[in-house]
Amino acid sequence: MSSGYGRFALARAGQAAVVVLLAYVLTFLVISVLPGDAITNSLRDPQSGLSEADIQRIVSYYGLDQPVLVQLALSLGRFLTGELGFSLQSNLAVSQIVGDALPSTLTLASTALFIAVAFAVAIAYGAHYAPPRWAGILRCIPSFFLSVPNFVIGLVLIELFAFRLHSFTTTDPNSATATLFAAVTLAIPVSAPLAEVLIAGLDHESRQEYALVARSRGLTGAQLFARHLVKPSALPSVAMIALIVGELLGGSVITETIFGRDGIGTVVQKAVTGEDQPVLQAVVSLSAVVFVAVNLAADLLTPLLDPRVNVREAANA
Amino acid sequence: MPESHVPPLLAVDGLHVSYGRKEVVRDVGFRLDRGGSLALIGESGSGKSTIAKAVLRLLQPSEASVTGSVRLDGKEVLAVPERQFRPLRGRQLGFIPQDPGSALNPVRTIGAQAHEAAALTGERDPGARRRMILEALEQVGLPDPVRVFDSYPHQLSGGMLQRVLIALTVLPRPSLIVADEPTSALDVTVQKLILDLLGDLRKELDIGLLLITHDLAIAAERTETLVVLKDGAVQEQGPSAQVFAAPRTDYARELQADVPALNPGRYRSQRLDVALKEPRDVPQEFPQESATADRPVQVSVTGITKRFQTRGKEVRAVDGVSFAVERGRTHALVGESGSGKTTAVRLLLGLEQPDSGTIAVGGQSTAGLSRAGIRDVRRHLQLVYQNPFISLDPTWRVGRIVREPLDRFGVGTTADRADQVRDALQSVGLPADVVDRRPGQLSGGQRQRVAIARALVVRPDVVVLDEPTSALDVTVQAGILELLARLQRELGLAYVFVSHDLALVRQVADTVSVLRSGQVVEQGTVDQVFDQPRHPYTRALLDAIPGTTGLQSPTGTAPDIQETPKLAEASL
Amino acid sequence: MSADLNFARLRSDGAASIRTRAAIPPTVLMSLLVVLVVVLWSLFPSVFTGYSPVNGDTGSKLDSPSLQHWFGTDYLGRDQYARVVYGTASSVTSALVAVAIGLVAGSAIGLASGFRGGWLDATLGRFVDVLLAIPGFLLAVVIVSSLGFQTINAAIATGVSAVAVFARLMRAEVIRVRRSTFVEASYLEGGNRLQALLTHVLPNAYRPVLVLAVLQFGTSILVIASLAFLGYGDPPPSSDWGLLVASGKTYVTAPWLVYAPALVIVATVLSINRISRWLRNPS
Repeated sequence: MSSGYGRFALARAGQAAVVVLLAYVLTFLVISVLPGDAITNSLRDPQSGLSEADIQRIVSYYGLDQPVLVQLALSLGRFLTGELGFSLQSNLAVSQIVGDALPSTLTLASTALFIAVAFAVAIAYGAHYAPPRWAGILRCIPSFFLSVPNFVIGLVLIELFAFRLHSFTTTDPNSATATLFAAVTLAIPVSAPLAEVLIAGLDHESRQEYALVARSRGLTGAQLFARHLVKPSALPSVAMIALIVGELLGGSVITETIFGRDGIGTVVQKAVTGEDQPVLQAVVSLSAVVFVAVNLAADLLTPLLDPRVNVREAANA
Repeated sequence: MPESHVPPLLAVDGLHVSYGRKEVVRDVGFRLDRGGSLALIGESGSGKSTIAKAVLRLLQPSEASVTGSVRLDGKEVLAVPERQFRPLRGRQLGFIPQDPGSALNPVRTIGAQAHEAAALTGERDPGARRRMILEALEQVGLPDPVRVFDSYPHQLSGGMLQRVLIALTVLPRPSLIVADEPTSALDVTVQKLILDLLGDLRKELDIGLLLITHDLAIAAERTETLVVLKDGAVQEQGPSAQVFAAPRTDYARELQADVPALNPGRYRSQRLDVALKEPRDVPQEFPQESATADRPVQVSVTGITKRFQTRGKEVRAVDGVSFAVERGRTHALVGESGSGKTTAVRLLLGLEQPDSGTIAVGGQSTAGLSRAGIRDVRRHLQLVYQNPFISLDPTWRVGRIVREPLDRFGVGTTADRADQVRDALQSVGLPADVVDRRPGQLSGGQRQRVAIARALVVRPDVVVLDEPTSALDVTVQAGILELLARLQRELGLAYVFVSHDLALVRQVADTVSVLRSGQVVEQGTVDQVFDQPRHPYTRALLDAIPGTTGLQSPTGTAPDIQETPKLAEASL
Repeated sequence: MSADLNFARLRSDGAASIRTRAAIPPTVLMSLLVVLVVVLWSLFPSVFTGYSPVNGDTGSKLDSPSLQHWFGTDYLGRDQYARVVYGTASSVTSALVAVAIGLVAGSAIGLASGFRGGWLDATLGRFVDVLLAIPGFLLAVVIVSSLGFQTINAAIATGVSAVAVFARLMRAEVIRVRRSTFVEASYLEGGNRLQALLTHVLPNAYRPVLVLAVLQFGTSILVIASLAFLGYGDPPPSSDWGLLVASGKTYVTAPWLVYAPALVIVATVLSINRISRWLRNPS
C-alpha cells in the first residue's frame, strides 16, 4: 500500500502543478489577448501620473514592446521564482499588496468556512432527525439560501443589525461582530450546496442494507448516525472542499465591498476598475494555487479515509 | 399443528402492511415453534420480505403502516414502544440479510461492527468481546479469524461475508433468526455450504429460523413448515413434505411444477427430439427437422484463450476452451462466478478478441475478417442478455428496439421491416400494441420477450442465451423457457445457453461444458455429465443443487443424482 | 454564487429519472407562474407599467411604496416597479446567453471527452481542470474586465465560467451511458459508434445536463446581478436588477429601493430552482 500510495501522491501532485501553470497561462492570455485593453492603455492614462521614464521602465520590465508569447514567458518565469511584479496604480510590489490584504481575507474566509460547515451539518442532521414537519422545512432551506444573492444577504444584515439593532457599525468593519456578520454573509450561499450533498448522502446511506442490519442489532437512531452514517455520508463532501474554498474566495469580492473591509476581494475590485493587470494576474493565479492545493489535499486524503478507494486505480483516473 | 400450553416462539396473526394506500400484505398468520423452522415462499411482489421486516419492526412508520399481531414467546411486540422493543433486537431476534455485500458498513472494519453484536451479550470488557468474536468467526468456518476481524467488507468474498454475518447474528444467542434470501446472491456451491452451516448452528444452539426465499426447493429441503405467499396473502401452508408433495392450491402446484430441480422432465418434453414424435405441434410454414438428418455445425470454438492483466498479475479468464453446437441443438456453458463463462461468450460474440484459438460461425472462421465480414457473422449470431432491465434502451419504444437490427443491417424496405417486427413480437407471444410502449412500462418477463424478438428478427442461426431467466421469477422463467423451446423447434436454432443453474441446464441442453477458472473441466452430453460426473467439481455442483437431497419428487422418484462426497475445500 | 458547485449538487441526486406523467405539485405551479410573469415582463414591459423607466417625476422623489408606485420611487422620482420591469429583459436575456454558452461549449467538450476517451479525454480533461481551478466568480470578473464593462460581456464571462461544470456532467453521463448494456447490444446489431452516439448515448445522457441548464439559469441570474452590483454591467440609466440594488443601497432612508428588486431576484431564482428540482425528481 505505501509504495502504491507514494506513486499515487506523486502522480497527483504532478497533475496539480501542471494545472497551476496552465491556469496562470490561461489567466495571462485572457487578460492580455482578449480585446479591450493591453497594459499600455492604462499607462498612457494622463491621470496615472507616471513620467515617461517610469513608463519606459515598466514597458521593458513586462516586455510590452515584444510579442505576447515573450511577455508570457517573462511573466511565467518570474511567477515561478515567486516574483509577482508591480502594481500599475501604486507602483507597490504586488506581493506587498497581497500580503497586506491577506490576513483580513483569511480571517473572513476561515470564519465563513467554519460557519458554513456548522450550518450545513445542522441543516442535514435536522432534515433527517427532526420531527417530519420541521425536517420538511429544513430540506427547503438550502434551495432558499441558494436563491438569495449574497449582496442582498449582506445588505439585509447591515440594515438589520448595524442600522436598526446597532450590533456593529459599518465604520469599524474589522471588529469581531462586523467580521462575524460578514462571515455569515459569505457562508450562507456556501453552506447550501454542502447541506444538499450531506442530506443526499444521509438519505442514501440510511437506505443501505447495512443500516437496516445495524438497526436490527438494536442500535438507536443516534448510535446509527454516529457510528455508521456520518463517515460515509460525509465522504462526498470532502471532494467538494476545494470548490467551497474557491467559492469563498470569489464571494469575498462582494462581501468585502459591502462591509467595507480591506482584503483580497477589495484588491481585485480595485485592480479591475483601475485595469491593474499585474495585480489581477497575481491574485487570480494565487487563488488557483490555493484551489489546486486544497483539491490535492482532499485527493490525497480520500484513500486514507475511504478504504474502498484503490490508489492504483485512482492514480490512473 | 397442535397447540400446546407453551406459547409458540413466534405467532403472527392478521398481519396487514400497506405502503401508503397500497396494501402489500393481507391478513397473514403463521406459527413457529421454539427451535423450529418455517419458510415464507413467494415470487417478487409476494410481500415475503415485507413480512420479515414487519416482524423485525424494521419498516419505517413514515412509509409503511403495520397492523395485526406479532407475538414473541407469547408477548405482543408489534404494539410496544420502540424503547421496549429495542432490547429484543439482536438478543432475541437475529436478522440475516439478502446481499452480504451491502450488509456491512463499507468504511468500517468487520471487527468494529462485530463489537456491536458482541456488546449485546452484556460483556463489557473489550478484550473478552474480541475473544468472543474471534471464536464466533472460527465457529462459522472462517479460516483466519484475526485477518477477517481486521478486514474491510470489500476485501472479503460474498461467501465469507455471509459467514461473518451469520457469526455476528448467532453471537448473542438469539432465539429466532430471520433470514431474508440469505444465499440468493451467492454461487450454488457456496449456497449449499452456507445453508448447511446455518442448519448446523440452529440445531446446536436451538434457534428458530424464519427463512424468506423464492426458491421452493431450498424451502422444502431446509425447513419444516412452508407458507406459500402470493400478492401479499397466504395461498397455502403446512408441513413442508405435505405442501411440497401434494400442493392443494393451483398456485402452489404451478410454483412446484416450474422449479426445474423438482421436475426433471418439465422442459425436456418440449424440446425438439421429443416434440418430433408429435408432428402436429410443428407449424407447416417451417421445414421440419428430421432427427436423423445430418446437422451442420453452426458454432465451433477451438482452444480459445484470453488473458487479462490485473494488478500486475496475468489471469487466464478463458484457457483453452473448445466446444461445438449443431443446428437445432443447445450447448450449455455452466460455471460459477469467475469461471470464465462470461468472457467465453464475449469472445464468441466478437466483443473481445481471443489471444489464441479459433471461432467459426456457420462454418466460417471469424479470424482475420474485415469489418463487413464481422458484421455479416454477427447477423447470424444473436445474443439475449441476462438482465432485460438494462439491455433495452429505456428511451426507445419497443417497435424501434426490435427493428434496430433490421435498420442496422439494412434488411428489406420500411414496410417489410414493420411486418417483420410484428411477426417477431407475435412469435414471442406479445400483443401487437406493445410496439408503442417503452421498456419501463413492461414487466421483466415481457422485456425478456422483447429482447428475444429483437434477436430473432434478423433470422439468425445461433442465439447466445446469457442466463436468460436468472433475473426473472420462476413462473415467468417457465414461460420464457417454453418459448425458447418452441422457437428452437420451429426455426431450428442453435443455442449457446450460459447458466449457473445445473437443474435447468439438464433440461434445456443437449451437450454441456462445465467451466472452472477458465478451463473446461468436463464436457459431454447432458446425460453423461449429469449421470456419471467424472470431475469432483462437477459432482460438487450437482450435489449443491437444492432439492436433490432428502426430498422426494412428487412422482415418487427422486432425481437420479448420485450421492457424492463433499468437497474437502470450501470453494469460497 | 458561481457554477462550480452545481456539479456536486446534481451528482448528489443521482441520475435524473425518466419523467412520468404525474400531477404538477402546487409549489411548482406557482414557480412556473413566477417565471411566466418574468418572461412576459421582459417581452412586453409596457403592458405591465405605464411609467417610464428613464424619466422621473421630480415632484415625487424617494416616495415609499403606494398604490401609484408599487415599489416606490427613486432619487429622480422614477417609478421603481417600472425600472424593475424594464430591467427584466436585459437580466433574463443575459442569463440565457450565459447558459447557452456554458451548455453548448461544455456539452461539446464533455461529449467529445467522454465518448472519444484516450488522449482527447486527457487533454480536454486538463483544460476543464484549469477552468475549474480558477474560482468561478473570479474567472467571470477577469473575463468581464478584459472584455469591457457591459452586461453582454458579463453574460459571456458568466457563461465561460460555467463551461467546466457542463463539461464534467456531460462527460460523466456519456461515460455512464456508453458503458451500458444496451449500447453494447447496439454494436452487436451492427451499429457503428456514430449511430450509437446519436441514437442511444445522447438521448439517455442529455436529461441531467438539461436539468443543470435550468439550475444554471438561476445561478447565472445571480452571478450577472452580482457583476452588475459591482458595476461591471451596463451603466445607468439601464436598470439591470443587480444595478438597481447597488444604486438603491445608498439611500438608507428608502430601503424599498433595495428590497423590491432583491425580492424579484429571489423569487425568480427560487422558482427556477424549484422547477429544476422537480425536473430532477418529479414528486
